[in-house]
Amino acid sequence: MSSLAAQQQALIQALFDWPAESAAQALAAHTQGDGRRGLMAYQTNGHELAQRALAAAYPVLCELLGTESFAALARAYWHACPPRRGDLAQWGGGLDQFVRHDQQLADERYLPDVATLEWALHQALSAADQAADGASFSLLTTADPASLCLDVVPGCAALRSPWPVVSIVCAHRDGMPSLDEAGLRLRACMAESAVVWRAGWRACVRQAQTGELEFLLALRAGSSLAAALEAAPALDFGAWLPMAAQSGLVLGARPMAPTS
Amino acid sequence: MLNAGSASTPPGTPDAEVTMVGIGWRQAHYAELMERQVAIDFLEVHSENFFAEGGASLAVLERARQRYPISLHGVGLSLGSVAGLDPWHLDRLAQLVRRIEPAWVSDHACFARAVYAGNVVHGSDLLPLAYTQEALTVLCANVQRVQDRLQRRLLVENATAYLRWQSDPEHPAMAEPAFLTELARRSGCGLLVDVNNIYVNALNARREGVAGDPEWHCRQWLDALAPDVVEEIHLAGHARMNDTQGEIVIDDHGSRVCDAVWRLYRHALSRFGRVPTLIEWDTRIPALDVLLQEAAQARSLCQALAPSPL
Repeated sequence: MSSLAAQQQALIQALFDWPAESAAQALAAHTQGDGRRGLMAYQTNGHELAQRALAAAYPVLCELLGTESFAALARAYWHACPPRRGDLAQWGGGLDQFVRHDQQLADERYLPDVATLEWALHQALSAADQAADGASFSLLTTADPASLCLDVVPGCAALRSPWPVVSIVCAHRDGMPSLDEAGLRLRACMAESAVVWRAGWRACVRQAQTGELEFLLALRAGSSLAAALEAAPALDFGAWLPMAAQSGLVLGARPMAPTS
Repeated sequence: MLNAGSASTPPGTPDAEVTMVGIGWRQAHYAELMERQVAIDFLEVHSENFFAEGGASLAVLERARQRYPISLHGVGLSLGSVAGLDPWHLDRLAQLVRRIEPAWVSDHACFARAVYAGNVVHGSDLLPLAYTQEALTVLCANVQRVQDRLQRRLLVENATAYLRWQSDPEHPAMAEPAFLTELARRSGCGLLVDVNNIYVNALNARREGVAGDPEWHCRQWLDALAPDVVEEIHLAGHARMNDTQGEIVIDDHGSRVCDAVWRLYRHALSRFGRVPTLIEWDTRIPALDVLLQEAAQARSLCQALAPSPL
């Protein structure tokens, strides 16, 4: 390994190892003095960045855990799963699984699903912009559903949970339902499925209608309208479509691309 | 140089006679700056904050671009990494550059990417380089790759260093100004001189036992840089920390530019001429008017200078 590569690897190791004592000693072989004060400055900055980045993506999880516990979680995740990209908004997608395996949070079994939902909301905010094509819905009256697909807004996600995750997230975001009501639903172990999408610049979430989860998952997998309807026989498509178009969840219809 | 746009010149048009002073534009001021239609020569944003494929931030930036020249300032390219550049990062930057058509694109002479536990990770910081020939070769290759991809000149900024690498007799280190000048000569990039970073490094060197007046060291630093490669100047505040681990000066961009840095800025102007200048403020962000006051101070110093560089 070159001298430069050894230096760079030693500093990165001292930043991400925790505890960092042996890595700090290894780094000292490359620095003037022992480099401890400078290393601490970089470590502190890393911890602050980790907390800030994850709090931006997971505001509800942060509220549920409290600032101190969330900071400890962010630090632990920083060291266990260091960023791979130079854009910290891309970092944190595995926090749900990390929380799931955290012994200290084992009693709060709903937290991983809250994290999954919040990450979907975070992703929706930065999804590609795509304009609605309302006129294209006229294809639904003329074309065979087996040859049509519906364009779902980029960033849309459909999630199933055995916990009332939509209620929990909405109670913290908008106060609807109230925190008390969300708590009642949590204690009653009410399962909720979530639909996430972006309307304008706002990431939205609501409970999925009957059959909607299966329908959206099929559409997102590239199914035709006919196949998606077949996957979701319980969906009241006639009632769903105007609501979905009006709320910006579905943008239009188009012929399926021919398969080779 | 570029001008901010008038009836006859759209934003981003080169104009060598115009003094340009900009401010770092952060989320706290997105709406206010646009509503007030503040008179400022350019806005600087962190490129990585606009890497999304869509959404509100990108739309806000595109709106701002219609009125102001934009400087895309990166903090994550990791130009000095032996591990090389992240193709994803370069793709996103290229996409943003195509979309925004910025006046300048810049990043730092530092590294952040290295192998950790079998993967290349990103340290999310501006980690210091050793100023050796080996580092220069790596930096030049990475800068060239960025310039080839973007099809434009990159500006590279001198970074702060909170630790200093040991000198290796087999790989002797160059002085930082010589290193950066050589980088510019070899790669064709321009230099972005952060005056506060030079001062912070000098203060930390004094803490580590380097004798002499920090301001004198900074003037020496500025005098050692080739003037013709300097294309932008950054000014910011810093913080003096003193905790259980001892003292350190941190380039936190969280306060006004200090008197010593203003004096060094005057020295830099006398050497480099009317270089476009940016006021950076990233933590404890104050009222927009405070940034504009700092920008006005920079402008008055710039305008006090004779039009042509020495």
